[in-house]
Amino acid sequence: MRRRVVVTGVGVVSSIGLGRRQFWASLMDGRSGISPVESMDTSQHGFHRGGEVKGFTPDPWFRRLDARCMGRASQFGVAAARMALDDAGLDPLEVDAESAGVAMGTTSGEPEYLCRFDDHVVAGTLDKAGPEADLFRYLAHTIAANIAGEMGFGGVNATIPCACAAGNYAIAHAFDAIASGRSDLMLAGGADAFARVPYTGFARLGAVAPEVCRPFDRNRKGMIPGEGAAVLVLEPMEHALRRGSLIWAEIGGYGLSCDAYHMTSAHPEGAGAARAMTSAMARSGIGPDDVSYISAHGTGTASNDRLETIAVKRAFRESAYRTPISSIKSMLGHTMGAASAIEAAVCTVAIHENRVPATMNFEEPDPECDLDYVPNRARECDVRVAMSNAFAFGGANSSLIFKRFED
Amino acid sequence: MNRVAITGMGIVSSLGDSQRDVHAAFCEGRSGLRPVTRFESTGVPCCLAGPVTDFDEKKYLPGRNLRPLDRLARLATSAVKLALEATGWTPELLRASEAGLALGTMFGAVHTVGEFDRGTVINGPGSASPLDFANTVLNAAAGQAAIWHGLTGINSTLTTGATAGLDAIGYATDLIRSGRAAVIVAGGVEEFSLEPVYAFERSGLLCGSHGDDPLPVPFHARRNGLAPGEGAAFVVLEDLDYALAGGRPVLAEIRGHASTLDTSGGRDGKLSVEAMARAIHIALRDAGCGPDEIDCLSASANGSVTADGREACAVACALGSRAARLPVTAVKSMLGDTLGASGAMQLIDLVETLRQGTLPGIPNLDEVDAGFPLPMAGPESRELDARIGLVNSVGAHGSCCSLVVALRK
Repeated sequence: MRRRVVVTGVGVVSSIGLGRRQFWASLMDGRSGISPVESMDTSQHGFHRGGEVKGFTPDPWFRRLDARCMGRASQFGVAAARMALDDAGLDPLEVDAESAGVAMGTTSGEPEYLCRFDDHVVAGTLDKAGPEADLFRYLAHTIAANIAGEMGFGGVNATIPCACAAGNYAIAHAFDAIASGRSDLMLAGGADAFARVPYTGFARLGAVAPEVCRPFDRNRKGMIPGEGAAVLVLEPMEHALRRGSLIWAEIGGYGLSCDAYHMTSAHPEGAGAARAMTSAMARSGIGPDDVSYISAHGTGTASNDRLETIAVKRAFRESAYRTPISSIKSMLGHTMGAASAIEAAVCTVAIHENRVPATMNFEEPDPECDLDYVPNRARECDVRVAMSNAFAFGGANSSLIFKRFED
Repeated sequence: MNRVAITGMGIVSSLGDSQRDVHAAFCEGRSGLRPVTRFESTGVPCCLAGPVTDFDEKKYLPGRNLRPLDRLARLATSAVKLALEATGWTPELLRASEAGLALGTMFGAVHTVGEFDRGTVINGPGSASPLDFANTVLNAAAGQAAIWHGLTGINSTLTTGATAGLDAIGYATDLIRSGRAAVIVAGGVEEFSLEPVYAFERSGLLCGSHGDDPLPVPFHARRNGLAPGEGAAFVVLEDLDYALAGGRPVLAEIRGHASTLDTSGGRDGKLSVEAMARAIHIALRDAGCGPDEIDCLSASANGSVTADGREACAVACALGSRAARLPVTAVKSMLGDTLGASGAMQLIDLVETLRQGTLPGIPNLDEVDAGFPLPMAGPESRELDARIGLVNSVGAHGSCCSLVVALRK
């Protein structure tokens, strides 16, 4: 018997605020987290802006581990996990640690260790390298392992590095772990830190906007790299009700698919993405008319936004025109493996607050993108069901469904 | 809950590219390990290792442009091909089945990412190739394999440390059990390159790092470290009824599995043993079988000074009196530790063991400590009438995974 899975806590580390409240308030105000890049040298690039989390100090979020022995994505992840547990009213020392687990998504793992290693290799100084080049600390799995180590959770533990859909893949995995009874508590989300490999790579792909990210706008120029983390607390419904916990939303289900078409270009008819959306709705027992809001992947590149629009129409038919869809990447930039986790947090809170965030910087409609993108102003509306989309390199598509919790 | 069948297996390793050849090599005690000096110019000394030296991807992946695939993706895509081809999957049937892919890896594309990054450090960011960038994402190998074979279902990459391959198989098992998918190709891949060798060498975990005899001998009283390996191994997992309806052979069934974490990251011996024992215990419970029903064990042991002893204690702790009579093998003695691929390789060979009735020995295991809790571990291969096997996979930093596989009654 599958168990129903609910979200009882939300933690966010973002360029527009730490914690659910601050993040949500900034999001509703349409604040931008894009600023000049400080953590790396961008002098050889044609643009110098990014969605960096400025002034983040890890120590307040740590009780057991030493934050200096891990990378920035892990530090973000631990902070978001601590916020999420606080938000859920859970003390990690009081939960059944053996049946509590962690599932995290990431695009890059902890790239700063690899970059320092590379600097040593290039300089011929590898024999003098210290812990800054420890490649065990580079590994993506350390993100979930560090969160679990910090919280003392000895159950299911995995990092799912499915690039820009990683957060959704991780939440889907956590959802299954609870639904099937393998786990009684999951911290699930995604984390990524700013890094020179994706910054350079997206630049070389011509996918980066120099100043402003304007998803679905006719004059959109691309995405802007960002960083951050979000973690959700997932529990079986019975546990949350027994604790008398506030339930932010229920996870209805998910759809995952692969284009099996091209590494960096989405399927030209949006087939794989539409399959993920359709499967997510079917698994959640709902149809297109039931969806109140879609959190778009919406990177701001010419091709993503056009193809996502096609895919939404393919999955939603006529209902596509009646369903608000927005991209918070207009404010945060693309936070990579954290993006869909942060967007899952948005869907969760939106259901509770009955408000949806805007697509900011929207000036001129694109005839090829003709849906309701909630331009420039957050909107009040009845949010009963929210869909969160994320698509990744390698053709991996994902769609999660969050529902207002009803007994 | 659906039952989960293994209907195909594919392996690319330092001991060959067919499970029969690899199993025969294991049973003869042949090793795929050799001294590797190619990193000396970077300051990483000679080590014993098991690279796939004669890997010819064109043999497995003919007729199409291989340029977009890096070595990691080529290894994975080749092993997936071998797993699929034995049972006659066509691209049409794979698409109609919405076959998925679950790929486990520890270091993943670290060499591709490193080369990309080092190139930009030396020649500036303008020199970077967008084609190479596509392979720097950690799910690139899974994406490339899906494109090559037309795998349009769930496409997931798992990283959990050295347990990733077995974890990916457990992950896929649950997706099939719950009806999310009918067919998933699952397993692991690891590339042998400067980066993992450097990481292990600098941590003093390689065999011979302290001037000892450089040979990885699991459970040996004087074991002194592991040898890094390379390769890929994948199994085709299917809903049992779906496989039978399609007329595909059921090689074995996945009966149960579990993953746990030692939250001390391997630093605390007691927590470490407890986490390993818990994985075995939950896997048996998940499989609905008792310790006495386990006929043999494929141990994770790789020659590591601390981890091997802990695993032996954990087996004894989880299986009780059965441990003293349990036939044990540890194939990392011959392949080296293929990390993210190792659990999948162990599983494939354990299925061969069950089907052929011969369990490989552990070469050079001529001395174990007094009171060693797995007394059946020894250097000789043995005939075995076995139906149910246990696979252990343990990472050096706290991840534990155990899986129960059985021949179909």
